[in-house]
Amino acid sequence: MKLSRRTFLASSAAISAASIAGSFADRAWAASDTVAIASLHDLSGPLDIYGVPSNLCMKVAVEEINAAGGLLGKKVELKVYDGQSDITKYPQYAQKAALNDRVVMVQGALSGAAREATRPVLRKYKIPFIYGSFYEGGLCEKNSFCVNTGGNQQVVPLLEWSFKNLGKKLYYIASDYNAPRNFGIWNHVMAKRQGGEVLADDYYPLDVTDFTAAIAKIQAAKPDIVHSCLVGGPAMSFYRQWAAAGMLKKIPIISIVFAAGNEHEVLAPEETDGVIVAYNYFQELDTSKNKEFLAKVEALAGKNHPYINGEVFGGYSGVMLWAEAVKRAGSFEREAVLAVLESGIRWEGPAGVMTTDGPTHNTTQDVHIITVKNRVWSLIEKREQIPPDTYGGKCNVFTNPNQTDFLMPQI
Amino acid sequence: MDQFVILCFAVVNSIALLALISLGLAIIFGMMRVINFAHGEFVMLGGYATVIANHAGVNLWLSMLVVAPMVVGMIGAVVELLIIRRLYGHLVTTMLATWGLSLFLIGAVTAVFGNTTMGVSAPLGNIPVGAYSIGAYQLLLIAITALLVVCSLLALHWTKYGLIARAAMQNSEMATTLGIDCDRVYAATFIIGAAISGLAGALLAPISGVLPHMGAAYVARAFVTVISGGGALITGFLSAATILGPVEALLSYFATPVVGQASLLLLAVIILRLFPTGVSSLWTGGR
Repeated sequence: MKLSRRTFLASSAAISAASIAGSFADRAWAASDTVAIASLHDLSGPLDIYGVPSNLCMKVAVEEINAAGGLLGKKVELKVYDGQSDITKYPQYAQKAALNDRVVMVQGALSGAAREATRPVLRKYKIPFIYGSFYEGGLCEKNSFCVNTGGNQQVVPLLEWSFKNLGKKLYYIASDYNAPRNFGIWNHVMAKRQGGEVLADDYYPLDVTDFTAAIAKIQAAKPDIVHSCLVGGPAMSFYRQWAAAGMLKKIPIISIVFAAGNEHEVLAPEETDGVIVAYNYFQELDTSKNKEFLAKVEALAGKNHPYINGEVFGGYSGVMLWAEAVKRAGSFEREAVLAVLESGIRWEGPAGVMTTDGPTHNTTQDVHIITVKNRVWSLIEKREQIPPDTYGGKCNVFTNPNQTDFLMPQI
Repeated sequence: MDQFVILCFAVVNSIALLALISLGLAIIFGMMRVINFAHGEFVMLGGYATVIANHAGVNLWLSMLVVAPMVVGMIGAVVELLIIRRLYGHLVTTMLATWGLSLFLIGAVTAVFGNTTMGVSAPLGNIPVGAYSIGAYQLLLIAITALLVVCSLLALHWTKYGLIARAAMQNSEMATTLGIDCDRVYAATFIIGAAISGLAGALLAPISGVLPHMGAAYVARAFVTVISGGGALITGFLSAATILGPVEALLSYFATPVVGQASLLLLAVIILRLFPTGVSSLWTGGR
């Protein structure tokens, strides 16, 4: 056969097209005896306080699955990527995980910015994205599944309890970016529902370390409750200065982010005693499943493992829920796994019963209102089976399968 | 009335914080015309020295007032010997070199202590003011800052070392002719400036905690204060702090902290437009 330049180009184009098509059709796991999932977390840089323990929880889940014989006869392999607290790494690694490592699921991208950079890539390559961090709520996308609490699941129980038990006047002090501003709307929603009052919404840039004026302002406003959504290392100064001004014993602080970076271990007990938070999980939770879970964490990371808080617990529950869905689907295919997750599967883990919610692609779960004393958390009240918010019916992947935008709460 | 007291406290506190973080830089920049971009990291190292010494069992006051300035002073001596001494008179090169040093120090501290916040809690409890209360430690911070500024002023104008230092600063050739070893004066000045920056970090540690990249939050404000202050070494940056501090504190209180921060920078721009060599040109005649 005479090979002209034209036929050569045509045939080589056909071959490369066929091989690309083949790489998608012929899934890597079909022939292999392992199946890969990806952990995409910040394992270095300022956000590693969240990334490292969350990645550890994913490892615990994978080891547990493999010790029980794997999934559908295959060993699960965890491909770990370090996002380095750098947003630009997320789309790159998500693409690498999808194309190079042929993973069947990606979990991680905890910060809002990382999540938003990651999910379009995974949507494009049709790799399910499990989101394990608690967040502001309102992510209702076909390709993503949220296994931790959305905004309303933390804020609503915490504010209901606070307006009932602490008083009606609330002062909101928060870091100035998207999630805290979104949670700020929830304050107003709840104040309206409970007959409370939001005295102020005070947003601070992330690098502020001097909160003298802020504390003077709060003292002048005389609230019954201070709701703090201050995030990051510099903002921890607020708690130091609040305690130094003698306010810790006078006005209670509630929060839905405090302790996610293990602030209760970094700060001294006299700076944090009495802070009240709401999470689906906390390490001191007294259940037999939690004792088993912590024993596995200890076996993997030693006695001095990082504190497992509600933020990073999603690393474990996400993998376990996904594995449960795979077992029931009898397949690793995206459509089959998502269909099972959407059917509302029940899984009982260390944090109690969790049930996936089909229309919202979020998860119904127990939420614990807890308080800290001497660096140890104890339960105040357990709120059972809090469902995700439907955003007035707009959060529904069945009726809006092409929905990818974030939804905002309405006052 | 109580509210007024609290507000005054916030204003004075804001001035003191600006003065505290700027003093070390003012000495190094004002005396030697060395733009030290690693100033924020000297503050950070002072904070770390305090926290680590305290966690190792050293008394808190000893860690803050003695250990931190000594440690950072020694680091300053090494930096002067290895970098600054070789680059006197090269303004831009010094800027680049100290910027590199700043990145190195952040990286080194991150590698050794990890990228997490550490801290000690503020001592001394609180003082009630009517229905309000303020941290006693913050009052002490204001007092120590005032004392530091007064001591620097006295040392510069009423001691032999101050006279020699000013001579070396104003006319180094003449000073050399008169038998002054200007290199030694510069080295000593840099070490003292570094030690005071370290002390600032030490004093800030109980109220703000320490983390490797904390210097970034201070270095810009310190530069803004020192540059707006202008030529007069101590009175210059002090007057700039007295103008900028209240504006930031009051606007943070009555408007939002973002407005407060922005107006501090805006005011600095206006000051430099009106007095290109800093506010102190009003009484030094633009020297």
